[in-house]
Amino acid sequence: MIAAAPRTALIAFFLACALSIIWPSSSQAKTTQIDDSGTQALEPSVSMRWKTTTPTRTGAGNLMAGTSTLRVRLNVMPWLHRSGKIYLNLPAQQPGPITISWLTQGRLQPGLLRSGNRVLVYAGPIATPFMEDTLTLQFSVDGTLVRRTFPVSFHFEMDED
Amino acid sequence: MHANPPSSRAPVVRTDRQGLRRELIGAALFVVLSGTASAYTATLTAASPQAVYLQVGVGSFTNTYLNGGQPGNNTTVNKVSATVPAGVLGNGTAQTMTTDSTATQSYWDNYTFCSVPGQVYIGGFYRTTGATTTAALVTATVPTALTDAAGDSIPFSKIRWASSGNGDTGAQPFPAGTFVNGGVQNVGSMSSNTWNESCWAFSYLNNSIPPAGTFTGTVRYTLSSP
Repeated sequence: MIAAAPRTALIAFFLACALSIIWPSSSQAKTTQIDDSGTQALEPSVSMRWKTTTPTRTGAGNLMAGTSTLRVRLNVMPWLHRSGKIYLNLPAQQPGPITISWLTQGRLQPGLLRSGNRVLVYAGPIATPFMEDTLTLQFSVDGTLVRRTFPVSFHFEMDED
Repeated sequence: MHANPPSSRAPVVRTDRQGLRRELIGAALFVVLSGTASAYTATLTAASPQAVYLQVGVGSFTNTYLNGGQPGNNTTVNKVSATVPAGVLGNGTAQTMTTDSTATQSYWDNYTFCSVPGQVYIGGFYRTTGATTTAALVTATVPTALTDAAGDSIPFSKIRWASSGNGDTGAQPFPAGTFVNGGVQNVGSMSSNTWNESCWAFSYLNNSIPPAGTFTGTVRYTLSSP
């Protein structure tokens, strides 16, 4: 009796440790980058223009903006008949802070995203192998950071429920 | 831009050891490729990245900057003049000059920056992408002298200007100065991507006695971007 009590306590302790290790990982959603190789841009490049032709007295207000239309086709076959959350992810990249805002045809949600972040564009059941929408994207960047033509990369990713 | 989808595998029949090893390498590559995540890349290009605007006297703008204004062309050549009374001619007391320019408000915010007829508005900007560059220069191309119909002349260096602006403090982007007697002189500068403006009040030095007459001359102002 006296010896059994510490053993039970020991088992409980290890169980608690094991659970404490398992629980955090089970509460985190698994994030997977979605295959968007079927996505097409209607324009080969995005023309960036001064948002205001005239600068300010202080040198602020140097935003350049450009619009592009994207036919998004996401391969969500791996999550078919399951539920998930789809995010648009814009990693931090050169030449500096970039903002993308977009409108959609309704399949995905419209939104605004600053580089270094991601934003939810869909949440719910995955009922078809491919998820498609047409996005009108507006890119905004500080013109004083623009020295030459530059690429901006972004991707869609799935958080499984 | 996009990762290529894994190509379909062709039937491979190999029995030797080397062939098997190649198959294994091929299988390993196949796994890596199919696991490669794709991302979309857009190429952004600056269109019409540079613009300059200089206004001396009246100018043209579709609206103020604060309301999305766009600069335009204005070919008006404004006049600055003074009539010196005979009684004070050449006495060394500078004579204030007045202008036919009606430009008083800044196209930046519609603020009444200059006062007419005593001041001439000068302002503008130099737009460019990238980091701050060398300042854009504003120069005046000045004839040697003002002349009259009889061929008499007054050196341009007899005219000077003061610089200020309503409610303005600190250094002016287009500071006070005196014309040179013929040549090109710097009259101000503009840092890239900033709006710059001043109000010039011209005066005739009146420290010599020229023959009676109407003396005229034209100064041309030029903005040069780096």
